[in-house]
Amino acid sequence: MEYLLNQVVNGVCQGAIYALMAIGYSVIVGVVGMVTFTYGEIMMIGAFGAFYSFQYFGNNLPLAILLAFSSSFLLGIVVYKVCYEKFFNAPRHISLLCTIGFSMLMKNLAQIVFGPETKPMINIIHNETFTLRLAGVAVDFKLLQIIVMLLVVFFAVSLTLFFNRTRWGVALRAVSQNKQAAYLMGINVRRTAMLGNCIGCGFGGIAGILLSIYYYAVSATIWGNFSMKAFSASVLGGLVDLRLSALGGLCMGLIENLGITVSSATFRDVFSFSFLILILIIRPQGFAAKKGSRV
Amino acid sequence: MSQTMLKVENLTVYYGYINALSHVNIEVNEGEIITLIGGNGAGKTTTLMSISNLVEKAEGKVTFRTTDITRTQPDKIVKLGMSHVPEGRKIFPQLTVYENLIAGTFGQPKISKPRIAELVEENYVLFPRLKERAKQPGGSLSGGEQQMLAIARGLMMDPALIMLDEPSLGLAPIIVEEIFELIRKIRSRGKTVLLIEQNASMALSIADRGYVLETGRVTLTGTGRELLVNPEVKRAYLGV
Repeated sequence: MEYLLNQVVNGVCQGAIYALMAIGYSVIVGVVGMVTFTYGEIMMIGAFGAFYSFQYFGNNLPLAILLAFSSSFLLGIVVYKVCYEKFFNAPRHISLLCTIGFSMLMKNLAQIVFGPETKPMINIIHNETFTLRLAGVAVDFKLLQIIVMLLVVFFAVSLTLFFNRTRWGVALRAVSQNKQAAYLMGINVRRTAMLGNCIGCGFGGIAGILLSIYYYAVSATIWGNFSMKAFSASVLGGLVDLRLSALGGLCMGLIENLGITVSSATFRDVFSFSFLILILIIRPQGFAAKKGSRV
Repeated sequence: MSQTMLKVENLTVYYGYINALSHVNIEVNEGEIITLIGGNGAGKTTTLMSISNLVEKAEGKVTFRTTDITRTQPDKIVKLGMSHVPEGRKIFPQLTVYENLIAGTFGQPKISKPRIAELVEENYVLFPRLKERAKQPGGSLSGGEQQMLAIARGLMMDPALIMLDEPSLGLAPIIVEEIFELIRKIRSRGKTVLLIEQNASMALSIADRGYVLETGRVTLTGTGRELLVNPEVKRAYLGV
């Protein structure tokens, strides 16, 4: 029982990071209008940005997050210029293939530049554990987990506020809902789409640093898997709905960690992707309700 | 005669090999309601889309006031003071009614908050029903309300010329009358209106002048009243 509850805590924490990944992914898909396959490398750049920040500027978490965000943001500009801008009026699969190619290039360049080995990222957050006793059952919270969850909530809330309260946010939502109508409003759709793409990427970068803090390591090769998880979580939420994507990420994290209580930790991905397939068989639209909105 | 607001000369558009428009000439003067009528596939919507530069022109020149906008990006055209209310409304279904209206002001990044509030208030006077539903998502409105929202959004740009693409499409007759009444009101506020309609009798009855489009060509032009009694138009569009 105790083990199970502790796994729930782990699951929620990991799910929170997945949720942040999925939110970033959904923002990108929404404003650009198609799925991307460079997301893993975006997160990687964020993680390495943070790694070097820790190395050169010491143990400064806010600074590392800022650097992770901005390095992924900048890579987002590159991705946008290379993969989308030139192909706006071309068939969609061209951009899609372009993102796949860009992702391979980045993955291999990263191994040349950063090295192929796994780098440790330890003692970022003091290793402390709080124990909560409820009716004789002890549940452990690591300080790391608490900070990670708080950060995820903070960034998710600020993004929501940005989208709902600012003119830029409304413009981004307008672009993701109907590009042609957005043009007719006088919105510079390309520049807005680029900004949205970069914001999504920046959130990917933050998810990248949180993941590497969570796993105490950063490497250039593991990100394909996380990219697939971000994609799956966002599919669960119907691809463009931020809240439901976050819910999808949370569910995947929970299912993974509950799954490995009954089997080995190497089967982690089996559980999350089976969950995805199961949900999609039952509800092809994901968690999204088919609201009767007339367009 | 007042000034020329919009001048379309020799406009030709191809969709692949299909000639959608050939050598269309249209002139809109300040303060007028001009209507473009014609059946399905006559090229009405294409004309508007190419004025807004949403489709590629093969030939021709579009002048707005004194500016040549033939090759201007769609979002820049809006900034010059021309707003295009697209066919099928195309409101943003997940934005609230208020946010949809705000979206109309994005063309002018320097617009001040009081000015926005003023424009919103003006639109609420014209469309009282939008005020009641300001907090609802646009997608939850009825068809007629969505059309009003689309027009209101177009007016939020504070344009000199507003182009309406089939505002009566798919609406109940009583709502259609309401919409046409609104178009009159919009003109009386000093805006120029370019109206595209299938509902020829309604459109011609409020229009100063009209153009009849047939398979991509302007076949007839005249004042609204002339066209209403023209036997050709009567036979083809009014079903008399």
